[in-house]
Amino acid sequence: MTETSSIAARAVAVNSSSGPFHGYHIGDAYDELFERDGRPRPHYRQLYRRLSALSPDEFRRRKTMTDLSMLQDGVGFTVYRQEEGIERVWPMDPIPRIIPAREWEQIERGLTQRVTALNLFLKDIYHDQFILRDRVVDPQLVYGGSYFRREFMHAPVPRDIYIHVCGTDLIRDTDGRYLVLEDNGRTPSGVSYMLQNRQVLKRVFPQVFEQYDVRATDDYPASLLEVLRFIAPGGRHDPTVVLLSPGVYNSAYFEHTFLAQRMGIELVEGRDLVIDDNRVFMRTTRGLARVDVIYRRIDDDFLDPLVFRPDSTLGVPGLVNAYRAGRVALANCIGTGIADDKGIYPFVPDMIRYYLKQDPVLDNVETYRPLLHSHLSHVLTNLDKLVVKTVNESGGYGMLIGPASTAEQRAEFRERVKAFPREYIAQPTISLSTHPTFVDGGRVEGRHIDLRPFILCGEKVVVVPGALTRVALPKGSLVVNSSQGGGSKDTWVLAE
Amino acid sequence: MLSRVADALFWMSRYLERGEHVARLLDVCFHLELDLHGVLAGPAELHWTSLTAVLQSRVPESDGTSTPRAAVTRWLTFDPANSDSIVSCIARARANARAVRGTINSSMWRELNKLYWRLKDADFASRADDSPHEFYQAVESGSCLFQGVCDATMDHDEGWHFIQLGKYLERASKTLRILDIQYHLLAGLTDPSELPLANLQWGGVLRSCRAYEAYRRLNVGRVEPERVVELLLLHPTFPRSVRFCLESAATALQAIEGDSPGRSLPRGDRELGLVLGELRYRDLDELLTGDLHAFLGGLQSGCSSVSSAVQERYALR
Repeated sequence: MTETSSIAARAVAVNSSSGPFHGYHIGDAYDELFERDGRPRPHYRQLYRRLSALSPDEFRRRKTMTDLSMLQDGVGFTVYRQEEGIERVWPMDPIPRIIPAREWEQIERGLTQRVTALNLFLKDIYHDQFILRDRVVDPQLVYGGSYFRREFMHAPVPRDIYIHVCGTDLIRDTDGRYLVLEDNGRTPSGVSYMLQNRQVLKRVFPQVFEQYDVRATDDYPASLLEVLRFIAPGGRHDPTVVLLSPGVYNSAYFEHTFLAQRMGIELVEGRDLVIDDNRVFMRTTRGLARVDVIYRRIDDDFLDPLVFRPDSTLGVPGLVNAYRAGRVALANCIGTGIADDKGIYPFVPDMIRYYLKQDPVLDNVETYRPLLHSHLSHVLTNLDKLVVKTVNESGGYGMLIGPASTAEQRAEFRERVKAFPREYIAQPTISLSTHPTFVDGGRVEGRHIDLRPFILCGEKVVVVPGALTRVALPKGSLVVNSSQGGGSKDTWVLAE
Repeated sequence: MLSRVADALFWMSRYLERGEHVARLLDVCFHLELDLHGVLAGPAELHWTSLTAVLQSRVPESDGTSTPRAAVTRWLTFDPANSDSIVSCIARARANARAVRGTINSSMWRELNKLYWRLKDADFASRADDSPHEFYQAVESGSCLFQGVCDATMDHDEGWHFIQLGKYLERASKTLRILDIQYHLLAGLTDPSELPLANLQWGGVLRSCRAYEAYRRLNVGRVEPERVVELLLLHPTFPRSVRFCLESAATALQAIEGDSPGRSLPRGDRELGLVLGELRYRDLDELLTGDLHAFLGGLQSGCSSVSSAVQERYALR
């Protein structure tokens, strides 16, 4: 990725005589730490002072400590592309991102509102379909979505909760306004890194951490377990909850083991489960044991070879029938993918108004839909300025970033967008906020970041006071995904 | 406990014990070589031959650029094509641990993971040539550290017993193998002029089972084959002896099985009981005058059938 020209244009150098911040450039993007004039923002002052005092050697030493902690704790993820996944360590940047209480209050309110509306939407489209009849959302858009599961129309869902765990990606525009980039309502990952980063950061910069009143995130696994127990079929009193993982080759395997261990539940793979008379059991050394709730980290397509992909060896034959019969609960439910379909995304603000009679607290990023004729021509003539996304891809795959693209890539997308307008959306290139980040040589440079908070929906909606901040490590890059050279930062939500 | 988890714990433990075992054998071999220089006039081949025999490993063809010794150590230490090389064993132990990270605790995982990454480190790996003792000692310490953390921090529940079962079955069968091969190879060293050599070689056998100091506490003078067999095979309380290992395996099996009066004894327990009967009640002199090779062979196949009975019963693999 190349640096966008606009960023380099109005660069301001931070006036710091020495230390890691010397020569730090503030571009056009919103910088989290520095004001436009180069002064640190109030909530970052302590951190800035501490870090400025570090010699390059000392700074490098802290960074090495960070890397070593991650390696020894085995905080890895797997990158595909090759036949066999390669194990990598998720790079963590030692400089934390800080969110003041008043900003968090808005995020929390906005996300609660949003996920509440998404759950109402899912219940509606799988039952009465009022929103489609009232033409707030075009029915064709829902029926044409590849994650809409018509076979689950009218299927009862425990407590009417479809999305139990949601990870919503936020970015900040040049004015520092938080915008929703996308919702992840299928099997969002990253929460273990949120928790792990905190552990590592406390080891690496204990003195800095002490200076701030940072809200704790440790409660996440317990809150998640509460949600999972809440949805047990028939309100069963002491349900057996398991986490279903695709196994060691999955990119999020570390997270699966981490969460299973923290919740104190069994981590199972498809081959550990059997279905008998619509009841789910796991194979143990003492015979079969009943399972009530499955926190599944396997996509719909791989859950049950009898219903979805017959070639899947990760799933459990008969699981979907047991689920339909109400003998086992799944989190998240089957069919939630339609809610985080990027073709549906532009309508979330309308859903909020429709179901909740409220104005959205958090805005969407402006989005063009090639399906509309007027939008299509705009998209096609502005491909070099826009980001074009495939509606059902995630992980940074299937994307065109206009300003960084080649003429061939644009030509290719032009044809695809014309042929399959439902499959694409386009958004203006937003340069994402920047954050000081450690670079080789013990110095600090600005790198683009996003924010993924995690929302739990059980008896009530809980937004954990923390988040995964992903950072695009290559200079100028706007792609923060771990599979594409991204790293992460510890994220501090302040109590006051 | 999930059968798959029990299986992974069992094999994690076996592979780690195996890796440690190979490391110790190589360490002992390097030391023996130095010692033998002062005793033997000719080339000292015997201990390298016995090493590959003990490990039931083929000797890789020397490519001409390295000495036979270097070829053997490389094969046994690093070669990924050798499934029993130290690096392969530790990688397999770690792969199994990784599959059950929800069951073992993070300290256990960290120790095993550290050992794995240490062996992958090129700087450290180069010490295997320059300073073999340091290298092999680190593998042994890494394994011991893991076992220590495991015993001190993990609940001694069913999973822990599967770990013990794997460890002790592996140790017992490797010790049996060493005794079997060495007793045969060293039997010829009876001439009084060869006594210093025999002393060194038998000392090596003890060291490769980490039993040299224990032997010295019990016996005086030169190392005698009969006393070695007694210690490594029959000693009731020494944790490297075959009898101790199998008694411990039996304890683990009983703990896994739990109390279930009236249920017929599982095959694994019966097999183990039969082998233990031999070790508890056989007379040493009778063993030494009889066919020791056949006896040790019987015990080895007993260990294998215990292992397969366990896997059958708990639906492991």
